[in-house]
Amino acid sequence: MTFRVLDPTTEKAPPAGRLAPRLDTLEGKTIGFISNGKEGTKGFFKHLDQMLREEYGVAKVVSRTKSNYSAPADKHIVDEIKGWDAVVSGLGD
Amino acid sequence: MQLASKTYDANDISAVQELYHSSGWTDGLPIVPPTADAVQACLEWAMMPPDQLIGIEPVRGLAITAEKLAINAVMAGCLPMHFPVVVTAWMAMMQDEFLMHGATASTGGCAVLVVLNGPIRLELGANGTFNALGNSDRATAVIGRAVRLCLINLMDVRPGVIDRSTLGHPGKYSYCLAEDEEDSSWLPLHEQRGVERAASAVTVMAAGAPRQIMNEWTTKPEEILETFAAEMRANLRHYSIHPGNYALIIPKQLREHLQAAGWTKTDIATFIHERARIHRREWAEVGKGAVVRDRGDSVYPAMESPDQLLVIAAGGPAGGFGAVIPPWLGNKSHAVTLPLGVCIDCEPPK
Repeated sequence: MTFRVLDPTTEKAPPAGRLAPRLDTLEGKTIGFISNGKEGTKGFFKHLDQMLREEYGVAKVVSRTKSNYSAPADKHIVDEIKGWDAVVSGLGD
Repeated sequence: MQLASKTYDANDISAVQELYHSSGWTDGLPIVPPTADAVQACLEWAMMPPDQLIGIEPVRGLAITAEKLAINAVMAGCLPMHFPVVVTAWMAMMQDEFLMHGATASTGGCAVLVVLNGPIRLELGANGTFNALGNSDRATAVIGRAVRLCLINLMDVRPGVIDRSTLGHPGKYSYCLAEDEEDSSWLPLHEQRGVERAASAVTVMAAGAPRQIMNEWTTKPEEILETFAAEMRANLRHYSIHPGNYALIIPKQLREHLQAAGWTKTDIATFIHERARIHRREWAEVGKGAVVRDRGDSVYPAMESPDQLLVIAAGGPAGGFGAVIPPWLGNKSHAVTLPLGVCIDCEPPK
C-alpha cells in the first residue's frame, strides 16, 4: 500500500534578516556588547573589551545586559544598535 | 479543501516511518502517517481552513498555520476531536508571557505541561484519576505528544538545534493531564484562573519534572501541605530560587482530608505561599555557598503571590501521594489559560 504523506515542517524559511555590511577594520569603531547577564559573561566580556581596545584599536565599547537572559534583547538595547558599528552577543553558559 | 504542504510518496508503512525518522521529524517513536484525508478531517472538525493563521511565534516570527498543526497532530496519533485542544494549547504557548522560545530552547530542559479542564475532558475520555501523570489515557497521551511534535517540526526544537536542554525530562514526550473535576469540591483550575466553569479550557505551563511526595500519616491540612511546601523548598535549594508558577497535583486521598477540613484552593495557595520559601544562606548547605555572597538573609518565596500556585485535583483514589511540578525558571515564563474556541453559526471550510 502506497502512502502519500505530508511535510510536517514549516517548509518556508522564517523572515530572513540581512547581514550588516562586514567591517574592513575594527580600528576607530564602536563595538556593542549584548550580554545575557549570566555569570560566565563577566570575565568573557572584560577580556574581550581589553583585547578589542588594545590589540584592534577599537575606539569605544558599549556594554549592555539583557534584563531577561532567556528572552530577546530589550527594546532600548535594540534601539541603540544602529549607533554601533558591530555587535558581540554573548552567552554565559 | 486544498492543502499546501509538500507531499511524499512512500511504498509502505515502514517506508513512511523511515522517511520521517531520517528527516528528523519525529520524537523517536513511530508516527501515524499524515495523509491528506487524516489532516483534512482534523481541520474540518475544528472548522478551520488549512491556511488559518493560529499565531506568529513571537521571537523568530514563524507563522503557525492550522494545516501544519494538524499534520503534526495526526502524526502524534490525534483523532479529529483531539485537534482543537492542540490548537488552543499552541495559541496559549504563543502568548508573549509564555516565552515559548526561551522555555523550549533553554538548557534548563523543561517541558510544556498541558492541563485540560471542562466538558472537553469527558468528551475525549481524558482521565484525571489513575496514573494521572503517566500513561493514563489516549487523549492526554496524544495531545501532549502533538504539542511536542509541533515544537520539533515547526520551531526546529530538536535536541542540539533550538532545543539546548542539558537533560530534559520524560515529560518532553508528552505532558498532559486532565483535572478530576467530578470527584472534587474545589473550583476547577480554569475557573480559578478566570474562565467560565461551563467552558472547556487548556492551561500551559513551562514545567520541570514532577517531584512526588508522600504523607499518609496525618489528616491535618497544615501537615499535609507542609510536605508539599518542603518539596518546594527543596526545589528552591537544589534547583532555582526564581519565584513563579508551581503546580501541586493533589490526588483523592490527601484531597479528601483538605476538603473535609473546608480548605479551598485559595486557602492552600495562601498557606503554601507562606511556607514555601527559603533564605539565600541555605544555598551554602547544598554546595552553592559561592553564590550566597552578602545576601544570606534575603528571603526567596517559591511564588511572588498565592495566585501563582496552580492547584490541580488529579490522581488515583488510593495512596497518600502528591506531586509538586516546579517551573522551568521562575517568572521567566508564565502559565497561560485559554478557553477552547466555540464557534456559533460557523461554516465548515471549503
